[in-house]
Amino acid sequence: MSNNRPVVVMQVPEYLNLSQVPVFSQELEPLLEPHRPRIVLDCSQVRGIDSAGIEMLLNCLEEAMKRDGDLKLADVSKEAQVILELMRVDRVFEMFPTCEEAVRSFNAIPVEAVPQDAPWYSSVFDDLGYLKQAS
Amino acid sequence: MTGAIIIVGAELPHSPLRPALPASDPTHPTLPLGCVEVLGRSVVDRILDALHRSAFDRVVALADAAKAWPVEMNHDRPSPRFVQDPWGEVAVELQSCKAAGIDTVVLIRPSAYAEVNVADLLQCHRDEKAPITRAFLDLRPLDVWVIDASRLESSEDVLPLLLADECHAYPVNGYVNFLGHPRDLRRLVVDCFNNTCRLRPEGQEIRPGVWANEGVEVHRGARIVAPAFLGRGSRIEEQCLITRCSNVEANCHIDYGTVVEDSSVLPNTYIGIGLDISHSIVHGDTLLNLEREVTLQISDNGVIRSNRVLRREQYSQPQSALRMAGTQ
Repeated sequence: MSNNRPVVVMQVPEYLNLSQVPVFSQELEPLLEPHRPRIVLDCSQVRGIDSAGIEMLLNCLEEAMKRDGDLKLADVSKEAQVILELMRVDRVFEMFPTCEEAVRSFNAIPVEAVPQDAPWYSSVFDDLGYLKQAS
Repeated sequence: MTGAIIIVGAELPHSPLRPALPASDPTHPTLPLGCVEVLGRSVVDRILDALHRSAFDRVVALADAAKAWPVEMNHDRPSPRFVQDPWGEVAVELQSCKAAGIDTVVLIRPSAYAEVNVADLLQCHRDEKAPITRAFLDLRPLDVWVIDASRLESSEDVLPLLLADECHAYPVNGYVNFLGHPRDLRRLVVDCFNNTCRLRPEGQEIRPGVWANEGVEVHRGARIVAPAFLGRGSRIEEQCLITRCSNVEANCHIDYGTVVEDSSVLPNTYIGIGLDISHSIVHGDTLLNLEREVTLQISDNGVIRSNRVLRREQYSQPQSALRMAGTQ
């Protein structure tokens, strides 16, 4: 099943705090509504994120995953990286050094599209059959 | 007869010999790192204590009144005297020593933690018969001088003499930490735990490699992995982990499930629930990540914040309050 929906790249504001979260959420939420939303958040300008900002990011990731999509972070500033690590959410998000790489990661060929070779153990069974016949 | 003058917070003019300006605590821009409590006591406090316990006939402690720094130190000895013109006051004190028959004066500006053999330094100064001897680590000068007070003119400005190239150089062989950057505080802690220097944590070694000062509360579900230090009155909640040469200084509160790893939590700091503090120095609402060289001021009180109940005379910003605290 292919998904030709474009990847949306959004710039995260400098401070993703209690006052900025409702504004940013309002912009982000419509992008999460369609099936398989594919979003990249450009975090290069981020200088501060508080717990409200982290909660919003986690909620958005959850929403995206519910709809079989994903939300990825790109070009994460040092400040944002430190905050994500501090709050133990750095491993929750997929992060990329650049937006291009994050976008490209969405377009990677899905595993099911790759022709699978015969499993390694099939040759073992072949050998066993041969031995059986020989005996 | 010998005397000692310690001068805290006074700046030296920048010179090519001093590659870095004196460092400050990132959270209190005017607070010299020597005044920051590390392993239970600040470097300044430790030096003052050592001077008072030594055989000096006279010990004078001066502090720059223009700097906000903690005045609460060891209660068994007099507090430093806050002065407006610290270097001018040094000159006055030197004359006063001269008048009292104290011919040799050790002057210390605690901009670094240096283990100097003072007896050897004094002997070197006497042997060389130099008017001023200054301690050096290799080619880098330390702010430790021995001054022959009897050879000073009454009207002489002392600062140019201290910075002059004619000072006799005394080579220091002991451990030196220049406290030039907050990361040096971390290095000092690690060096202490590794026995690289003679500095010892305050309090008692409750388990091999784990020091705790008075009034520490550790939940039975918390883990303290040696080497580590817990400052007086600090509280470590359930499921916390303090590890890898971390020090939690006085009156800190580490809340449920937080990990403090290779980090220093400076006095009066609250660290919230379920956080990962790694390779950092935290003080109040400020976090300095040493790995990424990032300083963050976190406005979210639930994450980190100052845990301090301020007494007016402590850590005060207005100079008047400092002067008030400095009066004996």
